[in-house]
Amino acid sequence: MRIVIIGNGVAGMEAALAVRRREPSWDISLISEESDHFFSRTALMWVFSGQMSHRDIEPLERDAYERLGLRRVRARAMGVDTANRLVLLAGGREPVPYDRLLISCGSRPRPGPWPGSDAYGVGHFVTLQDLAWYEREVHGGASLGGEPPRPEEHLSASASDSPYRFRQVAAERRGRLAQQPAIIGGGLIGIEAAEVAVTAGLRPRFFIREEWFWPIALEPRESRWIASRMSQHGVDVHLEHEVETLETDDDGNVAAVRSNHGRYETDCVVIAIGVLPNTSWLAESGIELDERGGIVVDEGLQTSAADVFSAGDCASVRWFDGTRRPEQLWYTARDQGRVAGRRLLGDSPRYERGAWYNSAKLMDIEYTTAGLVNWNLDGEKSWFFEEKGKVRSTTRVVVQEGRVVGFNMLGRRWDHSVLIRWIEEQRSLDWVLGHLNAAAFDTELVPPLQIPGA
Amino acid sequence: MDQQGQNGLLTTYREGWRNRSVVGLAISLLLVTFYVVLYWEHKVEEQLGVAPLTAVSEAMGLRNRWYLYGFLYSVAMVAGAIYYLRRHGNSRYNRFRITVNVAIQIALGFTLPFIMPLFGGKEVYFSYFWPLKYDYLYPQTLADLPLYFALYTVVGSLIAAPVMAVLFGKRWYCSWVCGCGGLANTFGDPWRHLTSKSTKSWRFEQLSIHLVLLIAIATTFLIGLDSLIGSEHPTFHRIVAGNDWKDWSIKSFYGFAVGSILAGVIGTGLYPIFGPRVWCRNFCPMAAILGWVQKVGRYRIKVKPGMCISCGNCSTYCEMGIDVRSYAQADQSFTRASCVGCGMCAHMCPRGVLKLENSWERPEDKERQRLSVVDF
Repeated sequence: MRIVIIGNGVAGMEAALAVRRREPSWDISLISEESDHFFSRTALMWVFSGQMSHRDIEPLERDAYERLGLRRVRARAMGVDTANRLVLLAGGREPVPYDRLLISCGSRPRPGPWPGSDAYGVGHFVTLQDLAWYEREVHGGASLGGEPPRPEEHLSASASDSPYRFRQVAAERRGRLAQQPAIIGGGLIGIEAAEVAVTAGLRPRFFIREEWFWPIALEPRESRWIASRMSQHGVDVHLEHEVETLETDDDGNVAAVRSNHGRYETDCVVIAIGVLPNTSWLAESGIELDERGGIVVDEGLQTSAADVFSAGDCASVRWFDGTRRPEQLWYTARDQGRVAGRRLLGDSPRYERGAWYNSAKLMDIEYTTAGLVNWNLDGEKSWFFEEKGKVRSTTRVVVQEGRVVGFNMLGRRWDHSVLIRWIEEQRSLDWVLGHLNAAAFDTELVPPLQIPGA
Repeated sequence: MDQQGQNGLLTTYREGWRNRSVVGLAISLLLVTFYVVLYWEHKVEEQLGVAPLTAVSEAMGLRNRWYLYGFLYSVAMVAGAIYYLRRHGNSRYNRFRITVNVAIQIALGFTLPFIMPLFGGKEVYFSYFWPLKYDYLYPQTLADLPLYFALYTVVGSLIAAPVMAVLFGKRWYCSWVCGCGGLANTFGDPWRHLTSKSTKSWRFEQLSIHLVLLIAIATTFLIGLDSLIGSEHPTFHRIVAGNDWKDWSIKSFYGFAVGSILAGVIGTGLYPIFGPRVWCRNFCPMAAILGWVQKVGRYRIKVKPGMCISCGNCSTYCEMGIDVRSYAQADQSFTRASCVGCGMCAHMCPRGVLKLENSWERPEDKERQRLSVVDF
């Protein structure tokens, strides 16, 4: 049996491990343009700051592929010939035949829609090559942790529209490192790009279109705290800025961001306005895509083509609310990869998305959410408490018709699995507030949250 | 403001002296040289005609070079603690732990042993137990010690230390009390990311630490036997204990190989190359015993299910070389024998996935989702 997996990320690797665990002799190939090694994409910011090396963000030992007999192909996939069961590769490489195929090729950064978005000194912070670009703009190169192995190996089998090509570095054209970075886009990648610039000793400008930072997850009272932490750490937060143009100098290097509030000089711009399914290469393959570019899959993660499955960021899956769209999260990609692995083995499991939960770290403030928050449910009310003692935190419990349906927590650590259980048990607000510390996951010696009157 | 996790990003890999650069290697060479002179000063004196450390200690009024060592050790711990707390002092666990550890070193590791002889007492170390302080169960040592301290050391080594490890894990000793651990977590902290996480290094550790434990127990046993039968069997006595302190014997070999080479020269001298817990992880016989006890006790690292993003901060900053990430991404709460409970994995985790705790409740032994090849 020939298993081919496109994408060496968490979904693809989980699937490969699931297959190998049960079928020691099957032929498994992983096609990846970006990297020789599976790495944690969520950890790029720490490589930039120097907190971790490339080796540190790889969950597997480097000889894992050899030990597990996983063949690697370092090239860009250019299409799938479903009739002849072949994956076509760039650079004139031999097509790879498959019996069962998993497409887990992830996301690509959403390109900037503004004039000047392709100027020198403008980039993203999503791929390994984006990281290399941003490091060269700000630090002049990689940390002592080094570069990933064979960083340019894929360039002979790439394509001009690939997100894994290296950008020209404005700092090198100018002969001066970036002094005044600007980040556009008020989400998680944006705040990471801003935080790492602060660590490099710079004072980045952070352009956010919305009224407050990250409105999809936070309400104003929560977001204000985050924004004030950003300011304290040296980020210039610009709220309600609609970017209009990225201006360039005579050499084509980015020189300024022009927004509806004025012109701001810059020499390096990170566009962090979200990601898109990385599926443009599939346009001719006849595999059904949705209007967002996500690969349409059924409950068992099968695509419209026989023996072709999809998992991770690129797959449009059914959410808990019944809608169908890609889930761009680490742990959903991991879970989908496990399901896809069993599909490749011939089982018929279903991917069932449980209750929503997530976490993040916003500068130095930790965030945990569970259940339905910011969904504007009929008659929903938020119970909110801000703790301003030795520990600072905010606690928000969303209630609908007397039942707790969601939690949004900042500052303290919480076990989301307990919070989700309470939601499923349809607990009342009073009950939840009375038992809240049973879900606490604070580190030892931290005094428990005390809610007056609860 | 108290915060849970790490406050601000680290720039570890952008600092050369922390990454085996020329400066890092020079620091290591300096430390190794210091330990060689400290342990074998009489040989240096034979060659050079001066005993440098003794001269310095006498000039400082510190009586002998071992008090100078204790003094420098305390200074290094205080300086390292300031370095550490500036980075990680926002966490209460780190703050309390390091403060207690430094205070114990200054009070019990230096001041008390220095003062006791002034009042005609014998210098004793309340913060060390057998088998780390390997001679504390030698019959001759026990006989020479004041009775109260002999009782303290026997009860402490054989009963109290293991019982405490059952209740709180080995961390009560290795990360809150012990001077070796204290130096590693303060002065050695800049190099904690250098500890190898490879499967090979884990295999080496399991072999080496148990080998040293075996030798420690055998040595103590033979020396105990020698005190019973040594006077009737001069050859046995000569081999086990030697007739003179300069003789090569089992006793002096243990002191040389384990006490000086493994704990001092390698254990501390190679901080900037192999990370700060070289001794604790690979050789300390006390850590081996407490590690076994820890496995059956209450201590564990609890993993919050489904939230790990496999970033690797926990594993990178584990000074004991535990691949914490492999457990976190498998949703598996765990107790590893080598874990000294420094709390850094929980501190560094950006998603609050990890929590140190003491609990009789056993982590459910669900079949491990083995993403890591370490356990594949």
